Amino acid sequence: MSALTVLAPPGEFGAPTPDELFTLPPIIPGVEWFTKPVLLALFSSVLVIGICWAAFASPKLVPRGMQNVVELGYMFVRDQVARPFLGKDADRWMGLLVSIFFLVLVWNLLGVVPVLQFPVASHIAFPIVLAATIYILKIYLGIKHQGGIGYFKNMMFPPGLPKPIYFLLAPIEFLSNMIIAPFTHAVRLFANMFAGHMLLAFFSMVGFWFLFEKLTPLGAPIGVIGVVMTILLTGLEMFIMYLQAFLFAMLAAMYIGSSLHADH
Amino acid sequence: MSQQERRPETDGRDFSDAMWSVPSYLLAGMAVYGGLGWLLDRWLDMSAFFPIGIVLGVSLAGYAVYRRHGR
Amino acid sequence: MSVLAEVSGNVTAIGYGLAAIGPGIGVGIIFGQGVQAIARQPEAYGLIRQNMLLGFVLTEALALIGLVAPFIFQGIA
Repeated sequence: MSALTVLAPPGEFGAPTPDELFTLPPIIPGVEWFTKPVLLALFSSVLVIGICWAAFASPKLVPRGMQNVVELGYMFVRDQVARPFLGKDADRWMGLLVSIFFLVLVWNLLGVVPVLQFPVASHIAFPIVLAATIYILKIYLGIKHQGGIGYFKNMMFPPGLPKPIYFLLAPIEFLSNMIIAPFTHAVRLFANMFAGHMLLAFFSMVGFWFLFEKLTPLGAPIGVIGVVMTILLTGLEMFIMYLQAFLFAMLAAMYIGSSLHADH
Repeated sequence: MSQQERRPETDGRDFSDAMWSVPSYLLAGMAVYGGLGWLLDRWLDMSAFFPIGIVLGVSLAGYAVYRRHGR
Repeated sequence: MSVLAEVSGNVTAIGYGLAAIGPGIGVGIIFGQGVQAIARQPEAYGLIRQNMLLGFVLTEALALIGLVAPFIFQGIA
């Protein structure tokens, strides 16, 4: 809260700009790359590893405590993400999918944890790295399972069309599968987190400005609206964070699945 | 059962596969044919081919999705 | 007359916001009715799915044309 008021221009209310919210100074002066999102990303990796370690280091047949909670997440990923898209290959890919789901979920949920309050995925570099990993894996698996020529042939020339149409559609198929699909995979997560963080920052700033900085009889109701909207949108935002983590893992499973089996 | 046999174990996969690939197909169609139109516009110093290319690309991409996933 | 309100920034953002309303409603109707149709007649799944996909493609195309419309008019004007 106090960080936001320092950024506002003196005297009048100004909505927070992306530059103020997302361009953060390095934590240690002089080490340019070590900013808050990097610290949070490292922290969430350690957290995910720690939670899974605590849960499955010595698994019991009758789960209790931490193992119960993490098994719930594991079952969710297996039944909702892996099995519908990978079928009988689901168990081989569970490690990757569970890691992706939990990592993205923790990244996102850090956006509503009071002191930390920064969704890591709202810097596009982080989703891009995850999406690029899946992209490379997708091409590798496609070439391995369908052959170098067969993979591109299945992708660009689906059977059952007249010849001249292939000439028109092949560039669309290639561009959509090779460039646009991984791009939207990363951008979908990034854009949701970016917009959600800006929305929360805007409404909490409205509340803070009109109730604490410049308390006037006319401005107070607006401030109350700002606070109420902040609370409601935090709830919505937590739902969206969970949904985006699910979608990211689901699309990863979908790309892997489409490389393993040639469709139709 | 209708003429199209249901396969419950792959229904979900096929359907979400189709739905999630629609936006990237449409964007790719617009990029390819809109880009061609834009290049033509620059070459001939006109401004008609870019919108035509966009609309053509969207229609072709829609056709591609429909043929690939819709049957 | 003095200026009462002023919009600063890029107007195309407002244009895209307006253009996204219609497709948003349309996609909601398509999937809502499609799911309802599947629930009522599971045996017509193939046909419903096909038409749902077609409607979704056409609606989504409108949303994406709204996305590039600013670039088109930038080229013309």
